[in-house]
Amino acid sequence: MNIDNIELDQVRQARSEIQGLDIDVYGLIKRFGDRQVLHGLDLAIAPGEFVAIVGRSGCGKSTLLRLLAGLDGESAGEIRLDGRPAAAHKEDVRMMFQDARLLPWRTVIQNIAIGLTGSRQEVRERALEVLARVGLADRADEWPARLSGGQRQRVALARALIHKPRLLLLDEPLGALDALTRIEMQRLIESIWKQQQFTALLVTHDVSEAVALGDRIVLVEEGRITLDESVALVRPREHGEPAFARLESRVLKRLMTIEAVTSRNQIRGRVADIVLDDVLSEVRIETPAGVVTSTVLTRSLSEQPLEIGAEVLATFKSNEVVLAAA
Amino acid sequence: MADTAFPIAGAVPGGRLAALFRHLGRRLVPWLVPLAILVVWEVAARVGWLSSRVLPEPLAVVKAGVALAASGELLQHVRVSAGRAFTGFAIGGGLGLLLGLLTGSFRKVEIALDTTLQMIRNIPPLALIPLVILWFGIDETAKLFLIALGVFFSVYINTFHGIRSVDPALIEMGRSYGLKGWSLYREIILPGALSSILVGVRYGLGFMWVILIVAETISAQAGIGYMTMNAREFLQTDVVLLGIVLYALLGKLADVAARQLERRWLKWNAAYTAA
Ligand SMILES: Nc1ncnc2c1ncn2[C@@H]1O[C@H](COP(=O)(O)OP(=O)(O)O)[C@@H](O)[C@H]1O
Ligand SMILES: [Mg+2]
Repeated sequence: MNIDNIELDQVRQARSEIQGLDIDVYGLIKRFGDRQVLHGLDLAIAPGEFVAIVGRSGCGKSTLLRLLAGLDGESAGEIRLDGRPAAAHKEDVRMMFQDARLLPWRTVIQNIAIGLTGSRQEVRERALEVLARVGLADRADEWPARLSGGQRQRVALARALIHKPRLLLLDEPLGALDALTRIEMQRLIESIWKQQQFTALLVTHDVSEAVALGDRIVLVEEGRITLDESVALVRPREHGEPAFARLESRVLKRLMTIEAVTSRNQIRGRVADIVLDDVLSEVRIETPAGVVTSTVLTRSLSEQPLEIGAEVLATFKSNEVVLAAA
Repeated sequence: MADTAFPIAGAVPGGRLAALFRHLGRRLVPWLVPLAILVVWEVAARVGWLSSRVLPEPLAVVKAGVALAASGELLQHVRVSAGRAFTGFAIGGGLGLLLGLLTGSFRKVEIALDTTLQMIRNIPPLALIPLVILWFGIDETAKLFLIALGVFFSVYINTFHGIRSVDPALIEMGRSYGLKGWSLYREIILPGALSSILVGVRYGLGFMWVILIVAETISAQAGIGYMTMNAREFLQTDVVLLGIVLYALLGKLADVAARQLERRWLKWNAAYTAA
């Protein structure tokens, strides 16, 4: 009887070490002063699921992650991680930020060991092991300032992984990387997630990244979830596949319609010219500010035809407008 | 074939020699002007253009130094001055560091103290000399007080700002990795504030010498300032000049020491390792 209980405990413990956290969020509200950021958000995520969150900047994605990490408290509503409040699971939850947030005065390996306890030797061995998993074993004793942006994010990933998290929160961690490094990192994150089976929540502004990695894509709008779409593509997903591109353009279109509702960064104009091509076509729009060119998937053009001379609204993301001195 | 091989083989050491000269040249050229000034000065003094009452010849300064060193007097004065300076520095800098850490880390302490400290800061320490003499007389305490006061503010202000300007994103990261209290302080806040604290230390050292010189010139029973003021009475311009040179040397030494600290403690920062 007694022995059975101990065994049961051990099994339970072993399982909880492997398994991801189960997330349940009901009616989550967060206010900063008079400003309400989350307006009764509901979200349920199964253990081991990979959920990608998209949404325009300022809609409350980071706030949601910070609440899940227990870094801040909710104003109302409830967060349950395996049935318990977020504060009870701080050890199981790790977060990766857009900037790697490495301590510049610590070497790579010391950064990874932050918050670990145990003998020096043992900590170093464990740190070297995770460092090898992210492909940076040979940079263990360097200063972070010597690494490239992608390498720094790898170190940040290793620092999170060494704690064997059951929930990994990723707040636009690849946003500042170049396209090639980004795809490499996506593959790395995916393969580690598969091995360790933690629950993963990835905030991204890159819809193709959301489609590449998410089991589900969730759209947050004004502090609520307004789209929750399962991604039924087999992994690993190729960016060129037709099903991939279809889903990507659907989510993008949904995002763009939200953006069109707001009055920022938009120019009214008339379609002046359409240059058709196999995959991507160009639509040139005459606006009071000059000609604006929009690259559109040819497929979505055939689904939603445009005519020359039609009145359109060109909207663009504020973080993709490049400024140069005039 | 052999003919062409020879000149090339000979050219290598020649090239190295030229490089060596170029290197030496670069090290030596900056010293040419000071050296020339010294020579002109020495010559002018010997020929009689410069009265030794105005400016003694450089060699006389060296001789005075040697003589005072031999009698042990020089070491005694230097020891007293340096001891005075560093005691004042330790008191003022230590208090500045402590209060800066407290006001930087705890809002309540900042609210209670910072306004007062900012008000006192606006008083130049040297303006307090008459008052300090009234309080402490002209003995050792007055000098230590003035030095400590001058050093205190530069260390205090820079420590306070150093703590306040630690990247909040790093603090948040540390918290999310389970650091709190002293471990958060040791891993993130102190190292983050360190470069600013060291700036305060360097400014403080500068202050320390200026105030030391003024305080010792006003009154002292020993120390470099006492030595020069004494020499002035007897028109020993060579000793006066020696005192000035000593102050300069000690100041330089303290600055070099502070730079070494920066290079050691901030070696992760590319700006400090390059030099
Ligand atoms: N600590 C805070 N104090 C006040 N307002 C905040 C704070 N953190 C976030 N906000 C506000 O909450 C809104 C949502 O922020 P955030 O969650 O960071 O958006 P996202 O990550 O989706 O871009 C923003 O308008 C932001 O200004
Ligand atoms: Mg954000």
